[in-house]
Amino acid sequence: MWVWFFKLGSPKWFYELSGRWLPWLIAAMVIFMTIGLVWGLLFLPPDYQQGFTSRILIVHVAVAGTSLAFFPLLLVAGTITLVWRMKLADMVAKNAAILGAWFSFITLATGSLWGSVMWGTWWEWTDSRLVSMLFQLFLLLGVISLRSALEDSDTAAKACALLSIVGCINVVIIKYSVEWWNTLHQVSSPVNMDASSPNGPEFWIATLIMIVAVYLFLSVSLILSTRNEILFRERKSQWVQDLVSKS
Amino acid sequence: MLDAIQFSSFAEFVDMGGYGFNVWSVYALFAIFVAVNLILPLRKKQKIIRQLKRRITLDAEIQSEDDSSSD
Repeated sequence: MWVWFFKLGSPKWFYELSGRWLPWLIAAMVIFMTIGLVWGLLFLPPDYQQGFTSRILIVHVAVAGTSLAFFPLLLVAGTITLVWRMKLADMVAKNAAILGAWFSFITLATGSLWGSVMWGTWWEWTDSRLVSMLFQLFLLLGVISLRSALEDSDTAAKACALLSIVGCINVVIIKYSVEWWNTLHQVSSPVNMDASSPNGPEFWIATLIMIVAVYLFLSVSLILSTRNEILFRERKSQWVQDLVSKS
Repeated sequence: MLDAIQFSSFAEFVDMGGYGFNVWSVYALFAIFVAVNLILPLRKKQKIIRQLKRRITLDAEIQSEDDSSSD
Protein backbone atom coordinates (compact mmCIF):
# COMPACT_ATOMS: atom_id res chain seq x y z
CA MET A 1 0.00 0.00 0.00
CA TRP A 2 2.67 2.55 1.00
CA VAL A 3 4.93 1.58 -1.86
CA TRP A 4 2.00 2.17 -4.21
CA PHE A 5 1.20 5.49 -2.53
CA PHE A 6 4.70 6.86 -2.91
CA LYS A 7 5.06 5.52 -6.42
CA LEU A 8 1.92 7.46 -7.33
CA GLY A 9 3.58 10.55 -5.92
CA SER A 10 6.39 10.21 -8.44
CA PRO A 11 5.57 12.48 -11.41
CA LYS A 12 7.32 10.15 -13.86
CA TRP A 13 5.30 7.14 -12.73
CA PHE A 14 2.05 9.09 -12.91
CA TYR A 15 2.93 10.41 -16.36
CA GLU A 16 3.45 6.90 -17.71
CA LEU A 17 0.40 5.40 -16.02
CA SER A 18 -1.96 8.23 -17.04
CA GLY A 19 -0.63 7.96 -20.58
CA ARG A 20 -1.92 4.38 -20.68
CA TRP A 21 -5.29 5.32 -19.14
CA LEU A 22 -6.02 8.38 -21.24
CA PRO A 23 -7.17 6.69 -24.48
CA TRP A 24 -9.71 4.60 -22.54
CA LEU A 25 -10.95 7.54 -20.50
CA ILE A 26 -11.32 9.68 -23.64
CA ALA A 27 -13.19 6.88 -25.45
CA ALA A 28 -15.58 6.42 -22.50
CA MET A 29 -16.08 10.19 -22.26
CA VAL A 30 -16.95 10.49 -25.96
CA ILE A 31 -19.42 7.59 -25.73
CA PHE A 32 -21.21 8.91 -22.62
CA MET A 33 -21.24 12.52 -23.88
CA THR A 34 -22.70 11.45 -27.23
CA ILE A 35 -25.40 9.26 -25.69
CA GLY A 36 -26.24 11.88 -23.06
CA LEU A 37 -26.42 14.82 -25.44
CA VAL A 38 -28.33 13.02 -28.21
CA TRP A 39 -30.78 11.58 -25.71
CA GLY A 40 -31.09 14.89 -23.90
CA LEU A 41 -31.67 16.98 -27.02
CA LEU A 42 -33.75 14.63 -29.18
CA PHE A 43 -35.48 11.95 -27.12
CA LEU A 44 -36.16 13.36 -23.65
CA PRO A 45 -39.92 13.96 -23.40
CA PRO A 46 -41.02 17.45 -22.32
CA ASP A 47 -41.76 17.85 -18.62
CA TYR A 48 -45.45 18.22 -17.79
CA GLN A 49 -44.80 21.60 -16.13
CA GLN A 50 -41.46 22.82 -17.47
CA GLY A 51 -41.83 21.81 -21.10
CA PHE A 52 -38.50 21.52 -22.88
CA THR A 53 -36.58 23.50 -20.24
CA SER A 54 -36.05 20.14 -18.52
CA ARG A 55 -33.34 19.68 -21.17
CA ILE A 56 -31.40 22.43 -19.38
CA LEU A 57 -31.57 20.55 -16.10
CA ILE A 58 -29.78 17.39 -17.17
CA VAL A 59 -26.72 19.54 -18.01
CA HIS A 60 -27.13 21.84 -15.00
CA VAL A 61 -27.56 19.03 -12.44
CA ALA A 62 -24.58 17.07 -13.82
CA VAL A 63 -22.22 20.07 -13.78
CA ALA A 64 -23.49 21.40 -10.42
CA GLY A 65 -23.21 18.04 -8.66
CA THR A 66 -19.72 17.47 -10.03
CA SER A 67 -18.59 20.97 -9.01
CA LEU A 68 -19.01 19.93 -5.37
CA ALA A 69 -16.16 17.43 -5.78
CA PHE A 70 -13.47 20.11 -6.18
CA PHE A 71 -13.05 21.38 -2.63
CA PRO A 72 -12.85 17.89 -1.10
CA LEU A 73 -10.26 17.12 -3.81
CA LEU A 74 -8.32 20.31 -2.99
CA LEU A 75 -8.39 19.49 0.72
CA VAL A 76 -7.01 15.97 0.16
CA ALA A 77 -4.35 17.29 -2.26
CA GLY A 78 -3.43 20.12 0.13
CA THR A 79 -3.08 17.72 3.07
CA ILE A 80 -0.88 15.36 1.03
CA THR A 81 1.29 18.31 -0.05
CA LEU A 82 1.71 19.60 3.49
CA VAL A 83 2.20 16.22 5.21
CA TRP A 84 4.13 14.15 2.68
CA ARG A 85 5.61 16.93 0.50
CA MET A 86 4.33 15.18 -2.57
CA LYS A 87 4.94 17.31 -5.68
CA LEU A 88 2.25 15.56 -7.71
CA ALA A 89 -0.54 16.48 -5.26
CA ASP A 90 0.40 20.15 -5.59
CA MET A 91 0.32 19.95 -9.40
CA VAL A 92 -3.16 18.37 -9.28
CA ALA A 93 -4.37 21.03 -6.83
CA LYS A 94 -3.19 23.90 -9.04
CA ASN A 95 -5.19 22.67 -12.04
CA ALA A 96 -8.18 21.47 -10.01
CA ALA A 97 -8.75 25.00 -8.68
CA ILE A 98 -8.90 26.41 -12.20
CA LEU A 99 -11.19 23.68 -13.51
CA GLY A 100 -13.37 23.97 -10.39
CA ALA A 101 -13.90 27.67 -11.05
CA TRP A 102 -15.05 26.80 -14.58
CA PHE A 103 -17.49 24.23 -13.19
CA SER A 104 -18.92 26.70 -10.67
CA PHE A 105 -19.32 29.37 -13.32
CA ILE A 106 -21.11 27.01 -15.74
CA THR A 107 -23.38 25.87 -12.89
CA LEU A 108 -24.40 29.47 -12.19
CA ALA A 109 -24.83 30.37 -15.87
CA THR A 110 -26.93 27.31 -16.80
CA GLY A 111 -28.98 27.75 -13.61
CA SER A 112 -29.65 31.39 -14.52
CA LEU A 113 -30.75 30.44 -18.03
CA TRP A 114 -33.23 27.98 -16.51
CA GLY A 115 -34.38 30.30 -13.74
CA SER A 116 -34.97 33.21 -16.09
CA VAL A 117 -37.87 31.36 -17.70
CA MET A 118 -39.05 29.06 -14.87
CA TRP A 119 -38.64 31.40 -11.90
CA GLY A 120 -38.92 34.61 -13.90
CA THR A 121 -35.60 35.84 -12.50
CA TRP A 122 -31.94 35.44 -13.48
CA TRP A 123 -30.62 35.89 -9.99
CA GLU A 124 -31.93 36.09 -6.44
CA TRP A 125 -29.66 37.34 -3.66
CA THR A 126 -31.90 35.92 -0.96
CA ASP A 127 -31.63 32.33 -2.17
CA SER A 128 -29.13 30.30 -0.15
CA ARG A 129 -28.32 27.78 -2.89
CA LEU A 130 -27.49 30.48 -5.43
CA VAL A 131 -25.43 32.57 -3.04
CA SER A 132 -23.47 29.63 -1.61
CA MET A 133 -22.60 28.47 -5.14
CA LEU A 134 -21.42 31.99 -5.98
CA PHE A 135 -19.34 31.89 -2.79
CA GLN A 136 -17.72 28.65 -4.01
CA LEU A 137 -16.76 30.38 -7.28
CA PHE A 138 -15.18 33.29 -5.35
CA LEU A 139 -13.34 30.92 -3.00
CA LEU A 140 -11.86 29.06 -5.97
CA LEU A 141 -10.84 32.36 -7.62
CA GLY A 142 -9.23 33.20 -4.27
CA VAL A 143 -7.28 29.92 -4.29
CA ILE A 144 -6.12 30.58 -7.88
CA SER A 145 -4.91 34.11 -7.15
CA LEU A 146 -3.23 33.06 -3.88
CA ARG A 147 -1.31 30.38 -5.74
CA SER A 148 -0.21 32.73 -8.51
CA ALA A 149 0.79 35.41 -6.01
CA LEU A 150 2.79 33.07 -3.77
CA GLU A 151 4.18 30.72 -6.42
CA ASP A 152 5.53 27.41 -5.10
CA SER A 153 5.90 28.59 -1.54
CA ASP A 154 5.01 26.86 1.70
CA THR A 155 2.82 29.78 2.69
CA ALA A 156 0.75 29.31 -0.48
CA ALA A 157 0.25 25.61 0.26
CA LYS A 158 -0.85 26.38 3.82
CA ALA A 159 -3.16 29.24 2.86
CA CYS A 160 -4.78 27.15 0.12
CA ALA A 161 -5.27 24.20 2.49
CA LEU A 162 -7.00 26.57 4.91
CA LEU A 163 -9.24 27.95 2.17
CA SER A 164 -10.06 24.35 1.17
CA ILE A 165 -11.41 23.68 4.68
CA VAL A 166 -13.70 26.70 4.33
CA GLY A 167 -14.61 25.44 0.84
CA CYS A 168 -15.53 21.99 2.17
CA ILE A 169 -17.79 23.48 4.84
CA ASN A 170 -19.38 25.54 2.06
CA VAL A 171 -19.92 22.35 0.02
CA VAL A 172 -22.03 20.98 2.88
CA ILE A 173 -23.93 24.28 3.00
CA ILE A 174 -24.55 24.16 -0.77
CA LYS A 175 -25.75 20.56 -0.51
CA TYR A 176 -28.25 21.15 2.32
CA SER A 177 -29.08 24.82 1.64
CA VAL A 178 -32.32 23.89 -0.11
CA GLU A 179 -33.49 21.95 2.95
CA TRP A 180 -32.26 24.34 5.65
CA TRP A 181 -33.56 27.52 4.05
CA ASN A 182 -36.57 26.93 1.91
CA THR A 183 -36.41 29.92 -0.42
CA LEU A 184 -36.38 29.79 -4.22
CA HIS A 185 -34.24 26.87 -5.37
CA GLN A 186 -36.19 23.61 -5.30
CA VAL A 187 -35.02 20.59 -3.30
CA SER A 188 -33.56 17.72 -5.30
CA SER A 189 -36.20 15.36 -6.60
CA PRO A 190 -36.07 11.83 -5.17
CA VAL A 191 -34.81 9.14 -7.56
CA ASN A 192 -37.92 7.79 -9.16
CA MET A 193 -38.04 4.68 -11.33
CA ASP A 194 -41.81 4.55 -11.67
CA ALA A 195 -42.46 4.81 -15.41
CA SER A 196 -45.88 6.41 -14.95
CA SER A 197 -44.66 9.32 -12.80
CA PRO A 198 -44.03 12.77 -14.33
CA ASN A 199 -40.29 12.65 -13.70
CA GLY A 200 -39.79 8.99 -14.34
CA PRO A 201 -36.84 6.81 -15.31
CA GLU A 202 -36.12 8.43 -18.68
CA PHE A 203 -35.23 11.68 -16.93
CA TRP A 204 -33.12 9.93 -14.29
CA ILE A 205 -31.19 7.79 -16.70
CA ALA A 206 -30.47 10.79 -18.96
CA THR A 207 -29.21 12.75 -15.93
CA LEU A 208 -27.15 9.79 -14.71
CA ILE A 209 -25.49 9.39 -18.12
CA MET A 210 -24.65 13.11 -18.15
CA ILE A 211 -23.20 12.87 -14.62
CA VAL A 212 -20.92 10.00 -15.69
CA ALA A 213 -19.98 11.92 -18.86
CA VAL A 214 -19.13 15.08 -16.87
CA TYR A 215 -17.06 13.14 -14.32
CA LEU A 216 -15.13 11.49 -17.17
CA PHE A 217 -14.58 14.92 -18.72
CA LEU A 218 -13.30 16.24 -15.38
CA SER A 219 -10.82 13.34 -15.14
CA VAL A 220 -9.58 13.72 -18.71
CA SER A 221 -9.17 17.49 -18.47
CA LEU A 222 -7.46 17.32 -15.07
CA ILE A 223 -5.10 14.55 -16.19
CA LEU A 224 -4.19 16.46 -19.37
CA SER A 225 -3.33 19.66 -17.51
CA THR A 226 -1.51 17.79 -14.73
CA ARG A 227 0.64 16.03 -17.33
CA ASN A 228 1.56 19.46 -18.78
CA GLU A 229 2.49 20.63 -15.31
CA ILE A 230 4.69 17.54 -14.86
CA LEU A 231 6.47 18.09 -18.19
CA PHE A 232 7.14 21.71 -17.30
CA ARG A 233 8.25 21.27 -13.69
CA GLU A 234 10.37 18.21 -14.47
CA ARG A 235 11.83 19.69 -17.68
CA LYS A 236 15.41 19.39 -16.41
CA SER A 237 15.10 15.70 -15.53
CA GLN A 238 16.56 13.03 -17.79
CA TRP A 239 13.28 11.20 -18.48
CA VAL A 240 11.55 14.35 -19.79
CA GLN A 241 14.56 15.16 -21.98
CA ASP A 242 14.48 11.63 -23.39
CA LEU A 243 10.74 11.84 -23.94
CA VAL A 244 11.00 15.16 -25.77
CA SER A 245 13.85 14.12 -28.04
CA LYS A 246 11.96 10.94 -28.96
CA SER A 247 8.71 12.74 -29.85
CA MET B 1 -36.45 4.30 -32.15
CA LEU B 2 -36.83 7.25 -34.52
CA ASP B 3 -40.46 7.88 -33.60
CA ALA B 4 -39.29 8.49 -30.03
CA ILE B 5 -37.74 11.76 -31.26
CA GLN B 6 -39.77 14.58 -29.74
CA PHE B 7 -39.81 16.84 -32.80
CA SER B 8 -41.44 16.43 -36.19
CA SER B 9 -39.47 19.18 -37.97
CA PHE B 10 -36.13 20.94 -37.69
CA ALA B 11 -37.89 24.22 -36.93
CA GLU B 12 -39.60 22.60 -33.94
CA PHE B 13 -36.24 21.26 -32.76
CA VAL B 14 -34.73 24.76 -32.89
CA ASP B 15 -37.74 26.28 -31.16
CA MET B 16 -37.74 23.82 -28.21
CA GLY B 17 -41.37 24.54 -27.41
CA GLY B 18 -40.72 28.28 -27.17
CA TYR B 19 -37.63 27.92 -24.93
CA GLY B 20 -35.16 27.76 -27.81
CA PHE B 21 -32.94 30.62 -26.66
CA ASN B 22 -32.46 29.27 -23.15
CA VAL B 23 -32.04 25.61 -24.07
CA TRP B 24 -29.59 26.27 -26.89
CA SER B 25 -27.62 28.81 -24.86
CA VAL B 26 -27.10 26.17 -22.17
CA TYR B 27 -25.95 23.53 -24.66
CA ALA B 28 -23.69 26.05 -26.44
CA LEU B 29 -22.13 27.12 -23.13
CA PHE B 30 -21.62 23.49 -22.16
CA ALA B 31 -19.99 22.72 -25.54
CA ILE B 32 -17.61 25.69 -25.19
CA PHE B 33 -16.80 24.71 -21.60
CA VAL B 34 -15.93 21.12 -22.58
CA ALA B 35 -14.03 22.08 -25.75
CA VAL B 36 -11.93 24.80 -24.10
CA ASN B 37 -10.91 22.59 -21.19
CA LEU B 38 -9.77 19.82 -23.53
CA ILE B 39 -8.22 21.84 -26.37
CA LEU B 40 -6.24 24.30 -24.22
CA PRO B 41 -4.29 21.60 -22.32
CA LEU B 42 -3.61 19.73 -25.58
CA ARG B 43 -2.25 22.87 -27.25
CA LYS B 44 -0.23 23.73 -24.17
CA LYS B 45 1.41 20.30 -24.30
CA GLN B 46 2.52 20.87 -27.89
CA LYS B 47 3.90 24.27 -26.90
CA ILE B 48 5.85 22.85 -23.95
CA ILE B 49 7.32 20.06 -26.08
CA ARG B 50 8.29 22.53 -28.83
CA GLN B 51 10.05 24.76 -26.32
CA LEU B 52 11.88 21.89 -24.64
CA LYS B 53 12.97 20.55 -28.02
CA ARG B 54 14.40 23.92 -29.03
CA ARG B 55 16.25 24.07 -25.75
CA ILE B 56 17.75 20.62 -26.23
CA THR B 57 18.99 21.44 -29.75
CA LEU B 58 20.38 24.78 -28.49
CA ASP B 59 22.19 23.03 -25.65
CA ALA B 60 23.60 20.51 -28.11
CA GLU B 61 24.87 23.31 -30.38
CA ILE B 62 26.54 25.13 -27.52
CA GLN B 63 28.06 21.84 -26.43
CA SER B 64 29.52 21.15 -29.89
CA GLU B 65 30.87 24.73 -30.18
CA ASP B 66 32.59 24.30 -26.84
CA ASP B 67 34.08 21.03 -28.04
CA SER B 68 35.43 22.53 -31.27
CA SER B 69 36.87 25.63 -29.57
CA SER B 70 38.72 23.54 -27.00
CA ASP B 71 40.66 21.78 -29.78
